Amino acid sequence: MSVTRHVSIIAVLWLVSSVLGIAFSLSIGMLPSPASHEAHVVDSAMTLLTVLAVPVFTLVVIMLGYSMLVFRQRGDVLEDGPSIAGNQRIELLWVGVTLALTIFLAGYGTYELLGLRTHAAQSEESLLVKVTGSQWLWEFYYPKQNIRTFAQLTVPLGRTVQFEVTSKDIVHSFWIPAFRMKIDAVPGLTTRTFSTPDRVGSFIDDPNFRVQCAELCGLAHSAMFGMVTVMDPKDFDAWAASQPTAQ
Amino acid sequence: MWMAFGPLVKGILQAAVGVVLGASFGDLLAGLTGRSGDREPAMALGYVFGLIGWLLGIGVWDSWAKEWFGLQVKHAEVSGWRRYFRFNMDHKVIGIQYVVTFITLFLLGGLASMLIRVELMSPGRTIMGPNEFNIVMSFHGIVMIAVAVATIMGGFANFVLPLLIGAEDVAFPRVNALSYWVVPPVAFTLVAAMLFGGYDSGWTAYPPLSVHNASGQLLFLLAFITFGLSSILGGLNFLTTVITLRAPGMTWGRLPIFVWSVFAAAIISLTATQFVAMALLTVVLDRVVGTAFYDSARGGNPLLYQHLFWFYSHPAVYIMALPGFGIALEVIAHFSRKPLFAYKWVVGGLLAIVGLSFIVWAHHLYTSGMSDQLHVPFMITTELISVPTGLIFLSALGTLWLAKVWLTTPMLFALGFVFNFLIGGITGIFLADVPTDIHLQDTYYVVAHFHYTIMGGEVFAIFAGIYYWFPKMTGRMFSEGLGKLHFWWMFLAYNATFLSMFYVGYQGMNRRVADYPANLGSGNLIVSIAAFVLAASFFFFVYNMVFSWIKGPKAADNPWQAHTLEWQTSSPPPLENFKHPPRVVGVPYNYGTPGAQHAIFEPMGTGATGGED
Repeated sequence: MSVTRHVSIIAVLWLVSSVLGIAFSLSIGMLPSPASHEAHVVDSAMTLLTVLAVPVFTLVVIMLGYSMLVFRQRGDVLEDGPSIAGNQRIELLWVGVTLALTIFLAGYGTYELLGLRTHAAQSEESLLVKVTGSQWLWEFYYPKQNIRTFAQLTVPLGRTVQFEVTSKDIVHSFWIPAFRMKIDAVPGLTTRTFSTPDRVGSFIDDPNFRVQCAELCGLAHSAMFGMVTVMDPKDFDAWAASQPTAQ
Repeated sequence: MWMAFGPLVKGILQAAVGVVLGASFGDLLAGLTGRSGDREPAMALGYVFGLIGWLLGIGVWDSWAKEWFGLQVKHAEVSGWRRYFRFNMDHKVIGIQYVVTFITLFLLGGLASMLIRVELMSPGRTIMGPNEFNIVMSFHGIVMIAVAVATIMGGFANFVLPLLIGAEDVAFPRVNALSYWVVPPVAFTLVAAMLFGGYDSGWTAYPPLSVHNASGQLLFLLAFITFGLSSILGGLNFLTTVITLRAPGMTWGRLPIFVWSVFAAAIISLTATQFVAMALLTVVLDRVVGTAFYDSARGGNPLLYQHLFWFYSHPAVYIMALPGFGIALEVIAHFSRKPLFAYKWVVGGLLAIVGLSFIVWAHHLYTSGMSDQLHVPFMITTELISVPTGLIFLSALGTLWLAKVWLTTPMLFALGFVFNFLIGGITGIFLADVPTDIHLQDTYYVVAHFHYTIMGGEVFAIFAGIYYWFPKMTGRMFSEGLGKLHFWWMFLAYNATFLSMFYVGYQGMNRRVADYPANLGSGNLIVSIAAFVLAASFFFFVYNMVFSWIKGPKAADNPWQAHTLEWQTSSPPPLENFKHPPRVVGVPYNYGTPGAQHAIFEPMGTGATGGED
């Protein structure tokens, strides 16, 4: 078989498998359903990376599989292949393409990250929640409302929530899967993150509405979680009014 | 019989004496400084004295240290299996000591992973409580990290590298033996720490948790530091060996790619390991002496540890991966019967990875609360690593192109490496990207990703190396049928296990938990079942290796008809490696060029032409 023939077969296989692969990866929902503005941004970044990853994956796998099957030797006498030690055009092309892909990904990632921060910074009426982790409990303090809750986080729909996170003892990590956000709780340090919930819900209907400690913190690490509730702003105000004020 | 284990018995007795002396000294110091009742000073000094006692007993005194005092060193003449149980300085013996020790540890760490998967089969408590889970998980982590760091760099690099460059041994044979003999106390201590409450802070041992937990953590830290010493000595030895002991004509451009990959990894071993030792030592000091590096109430900073730790531990990933690339490309070239494609680009890529590996560590800390302005630079450097890594794939695919592929067991494992490492690399992009990493960080997605790079990548390369060099190391041939069965079983079960793990990670299963919400139950059950099937594949491996080593057919000197130097001597090679020293006259991958030679062997001093190929 001529080299052109090998190349055309591989090109067709690559094209077909890439299209099928992309269609497949878009059709299956891998992520829990999103519940914040940031979650949608993260999910679209995830989708873009997946779409780019599929052709890279299929190209290598098809060349690998093709070589294994088509270029296999089975004879009793061991034969040598052709003495090809390199090809400058292909080498430069390969480096050029991988470099271009990398630059694009880095640029895109930067753009998304700055977009997330700008969105949060522009939000005028944000709600401040001070989060404190300790072995093995999450504590939430709402300074403006002067409310303190334990293992229960209640936030309003559509308002950016600014979280100021710290820890009383060792390193924990504050994670809400449905919001796609995560920040460590470090003793002696206040770390900050934000989230803008855009779907009403609670842990009862969706287990991803939970605060989960994501940094190994000893004995009850896996049990260190809290329930998250996202309410309409009016319900939130009513809820806040019904809570006892913190001492 | 007693004579065979003499050095071992002596080492154990002297270690015991050391432990008692050190512990008494520690108790004395603790008492004098008003901290009587605190056992950790005794444990720390007991460990250090015990380690010194062990090393002196096992042979450092008899075959080395006596010299420092003007005494006559003893060189016991032993042969056969007894060589492996003493302070032997032959790089081939040390290579086999390393491979056997670390494959044993690999199986032990694998056993721990089975306990983890049984516990995680269903939500709620299955077989153990959360504390036992954390300890088993930490044990699995640190043992497998040690396996990943040392099996190739200690095992294959030791056995094969001097042969590949036409040397008689490594540059510092006694340092080499020392770097192996500190390993048994490390392994022993990691197990013995269970008697002191174990260690439950993962292999990363982040403070303040690792300052406040059970005393087993102290032994973990000391063992880890000791292991780092072994790694530094190994790195030093291989760099010196490659620089100074290449055979005549073995120019840098003619080095087999495995030698380059070990050279690159050795640069990291030698220059990065001190940082983790420093990080671990500061935790030891916080525990034992009462310093406050990581106590924020007294001016310490827990985040500092994470930077120091990953400043080593990310480059360390390449101590594991680079020699894996080297084995895979080496095997692919020889079994494609073609020159290695884009050799110079690969060498450049390996060295570029060494450089870049030092400026990407903070991608482990995107969600740690470090300064926001560090996110973008570290995202860019991390993604840049895919360019030199991409060259490994270019070389593999280019070498296979139009090749005459001989699908032996080692070749299958090398191709499996390419497939698995591809998935490991691509999924790494999702973790390099800050927005996606914020969700994926600390989930099973990360667990699946690094298992793809280390187990799917490096461990497959290790198996490629074991099957490839088995005839040379043991002088016997293994069963190809069982080898292929091992490959296909392991490859399919491996992918079933870890592909499913990506899914549970996406779904919100976080790392290092003994329990999880009920909605993750079915995904975890699939992972566990696939993991049990994966574990079963190793029975074929162990059976094949043990029986082939004892009873396998005698191997030919060059069963693969490969051109590199290790195959041009007997299997196993004589003590001095080559009957006649080689003179290198060409590249090692000159397949397809009739009459091309890599080296010629001629008796010293005769000046005769010709000789064996």
